[in-house]
Amino acid sequence: MTLFTLSGVTYDVPGRRLIERLDLTIRPGMVTALIGRNGSGKSTLLKLISGQNRPSAGRIAYAGRDLADWAPRELARDLAYLPQVTPPAEGMLVEELVALGRFPWRGALGRFRAEDHAAVDAAIRRCSVGHLRHRLVDTLSGGERQRSWIAMMLAQGARTLLLDEPISALDVAHQVEVLDLVHGMCRDEGFSAIVVLHDLNMAARYCDHVVALGAGRLLLDGPIGALMTPEALLSIYGLPMHVAAHEGHAFALPR
Amino acid sequence: MNRMILVGGAVAALALWTIAALSALPLAEWPALPWRIDGMSVGQILLAYGLMPRGVLALLAGAALGLAGALMQAVLRNPLADPTTLGTASGAQLAIVAATIHAPGWLAGGNLPVALAGAGAATFLVMALGARRGFAPVTVTIAGMLVGLMASALATAMTLAQGHYLLSLVMWNGGALAQVDWSGSRNMALALVPALVAAAALARPLMVMSLGPEGAHGLGLRLAPLRFATLLLAVALSAMVSAQVGLVGFVGLAAPAIVRSLGARTLLQRLMLAPLAGALVLSLADGLLLALAAAGGPSLPTGALTGLIGGPLLIWLLPRMKAQVPQQTEAGDRRGHRAPRPARLLAGLAAACLALGLLTLFGGRGPGGWGFIAPELRETFLPLRATAILAAASAGALLAGAGAILQRLTANPMAAPEVLGVTGGASLGYAVTVMAVDGAGPLMLALGTSAGGALALAGLAGFAMRADLAPARLLLAGLAIGALASAVLGAIMASDDRRAWVILGWLAGSASQVSALGAAALAGLALALLAVLAASARVLEILPLGTEVGRALGLPLARVRLGLILLAGLATGAATMLVGPVSFVGLMAPHLARAMGLARAVPFCTGSWLLGAVLMLLAAFGARTASYPYDLPLGLFATLIGTPWLFILLVKRTSA
Ligand SMILES: Nc1ncnc2c1ncn2[C@@H]1O[C@H](COP(=O)(O)OP(=O)(O)O)[C@@H](O)[C@H]1O
Ligand SMILES: [Mg+2]
Repeated sequence: MTLFTLSGVTYDVPGRRLIERLDLTIRPGMVTALIGRNGSGKSTLLKLISGQNRPSAGRIAYAGRDLADWAPRELARDLAYLPQVTPPAEGMLVEELVALGRFPWRGALGRFRAEDHAAVDAAIRRCSVGHLRHRLVDTLSGGERQRSWIAMMLAQGARTLLLDEPISALDVAHQVEVLDLVHGMCRDEGFSAIVVLHDLNMAARYCDHVVALGAGRLLLDGPIGALMTPEALLSIYGLPMHVAAHEGHAFALPR
Repeated sequence: MNRMILVGGAVAALALWTIAALSALPLAEWPALPWRIDGMSVGQILLAYGLMPRGVLALLAGAALGLAGALMQAVLRNPLADPTTLGTASGAQLAIVAATIHAPGWLAGGNLPVALAGAGAATFLVMALGARRGFAPVTVTIAGMLVGLMASALATAMTLAQGHYLLSLVMWNGGALAQVDWSGSRNMALALVPALVAAAALARPLMVMSLGPEGAHGLGLRLAPLRFATLLLAVALSAMVSAQVGLVGFVGLAAPAIVRSLGARTLLQRLMLAPLAGALVLSLADGLLLALAAAGGPSLPTGALTGLIGGPLLIWLLPRMKAQVPQQTEAGDRRGHRAPRPARLLAGLAAACLALGLLTLFGGRGPGGWGFIAPELRETFLPLRATAILAAASAGALLAGAGAILQRLTANPMAAPEVLGVTGGASLGYAVTVMAVDGAGPLMLALGTSAGGALALAGLAGFAMRADLAPARLLLAGLAIGALASAVLGAIMASDDRRAWVILGWLAGSASQVSALGAAALAGLALALLAVLAASARVLEILPLGTEVGRALGLPLARVRLGLILLAGLATGAATMLVGPVSFVGLMAPHLARAMGLARAVPFCTGSWLLGAVLMLLAAFGARTASYPYDLPLGLFATLIGTPWLFILLVKRTSA
């Protein structure tokens, strides 16, 4: 069983083609890194497979069913998406934001049950934002806000996580914490994740698989080891890089 | 190809003007240059000093309004802003009305000085409040709307109190372009040319400003002086137009929107093309009226009828418009403040609402002065009073609830029930019924009103299904429908007819004619709305976070938005039908609620609902007692009570 199956997916905006006939399968139960240069179409692809946008041509199946056949809330219970830029949340406290993640389960009217409170608490704990619970989201630092949104997404209880640059505003300790969390959830609890990352070393350390895009086309699709070679990195970034290993972990540095 | 519309419009406007001019005077008899007035016939003089300057003035005034609108939309970062947003025109109108009634001598030197003084006073008030927060867009917008509402309520009150001046005032209000010499055009041109140069110079700083306050600061731009200068320029232009030709509605809103849908992308393009579109819309409207008059039709004020041309044009073009970048609140606007115990605040409001209801029911002013109603009168008067009070409170709650929904849905502080166009449609329905049916009874009027409102709502819903429901565009569509309706209404009002007075009275709002059944139905609807609001709390919580988050959480956005728009429209229509278009309660109550620190969906909506009821209760009491034994218009009182309150809250918050 595959997580996502894309066949001939194309996405056009007036006057431009952003994704060009993409065929791709993504497997469940692992962390897939989505990498590529700025403007290569990573966010666009993530929006397509999260159902935010419909492809102009081609089909996307999620868990064996065409994405268009999923009802909105049914999909949201199974798949959570974190946009690259989060909107301002005027007048909202962190715990209220996180509680919004339960909407797919309870809808507009359903009562909050013990399991919902438990999910919210667990998400807040896992993202270490407990001390921020009663703060206004809009008054947080960039990294604190990013972790609050990730907590909101975890509270959704979905088994598939799509994260668009989730660690761009985090310090290195929190980067490790978030990626460790996602990695652990996939390894031990059967979750699946697709994460847009710019930090190659973090990707090598915490991801199992890699998909690389360039100008809306697939450049690489393979195990993470395939990424950490000078040839692959040169073809993706157009930049000569050194790859070294230290205690079994691969490192890439610009030459 | 799109730009061909501009060319086609220009040709049409010129053709219309030529038809009017030729039917006034055959081409062979046109005066030869240079004109010498002593050698000209009356017909020649009328052409050379009447029609010709009128055509030029229409172009210039339209251009000035288009430019003012584009500047205003850029600096307030709101596609709904227009030259009337800051209350300038209403200030000018109030000054003219007040002078006409109380000091006619001041008008001896023409309208210009008085109108400019009024516009200046209104602007001063708005700027004084805006300055405390560095002219942050939302603050300035709200302050401007408050001043505008207040001024036009005062003007209407004065007009109503002096019925016999009505018609000349309506003519001025409606924007009269008729000219007797070239001085109007010359003044306008003298104002417009430097304004265009200044606008071009402001384009780049304004573009930098659109990066938001942090971005602008990082690039070394000081925001407050830039905003002040831009606002002042826009206000000066619109004051010029108000003073020269009176209130000309809708051009300032439509022109920038039209050029944007025609593909003008950069700010400089918009600033330079909007005057062109404005000139076209006003010339087309004026040419149409001139041609009509030449063909033996009635002579109507142009300013009130611009919606006739601009409305349909905008509705047709809107689907092509690129989505707006969503505006963001900035530090000066952010209310960061949340009431620590919203439940307590709401309970207090509910208690105040009940107490006020009882007080106005039993208390009041009688033949013997202030006091409680005498026991022997209770049986006759209490049911009547109770009906009026219930109707007023319910209407207030309905309108405020509708406003709360719209503000939540669009995150636009200017969103209010009248933006939906339903109020305009209902008003038009009422007016048409009054004019078409001799001695129409209450049932007939109610039918006509609701038919008008329903038509407008259906038009909006139809539009909503066609375009992909981007809320900002939907509001523009609602405004366009409303402008179309009020253009027709303006034509009806300006026709020399005593029934216009009946309509003006209704437009000011009144709850004294509602039947017991009607009041009960309205109350039932208000309660139902409250229930729906409570039930949609989570949805209303998610919607302001935008499309992406809404979709990610599984919200069926298209259906939810359509449903909420229809709900707001129905609530507005029902309230308007019974007590008249007092919908600015729907604007003020949500702002009051937010200023009180009610931030989350449930407290915000419930609070708005209660505040709407409270405002209308106060208004009903004031309307009944202020000039006993006569009832005064309810809507006017609601404005006169609500605006100062909100003003005080805003000032308090800024100094805190
Ligand atoms: N709505 C849009 N209209 C036009 N171009 C777009 C739009 N959205 C994205 N693009 C362009 O598509 C390309 C891919 O964008 P994106 O997927 O956001 O890149 P990234 O890989 O950095 O996330 C970029 O060149 C971007 O400019
Ligand atoms: Mg991206």
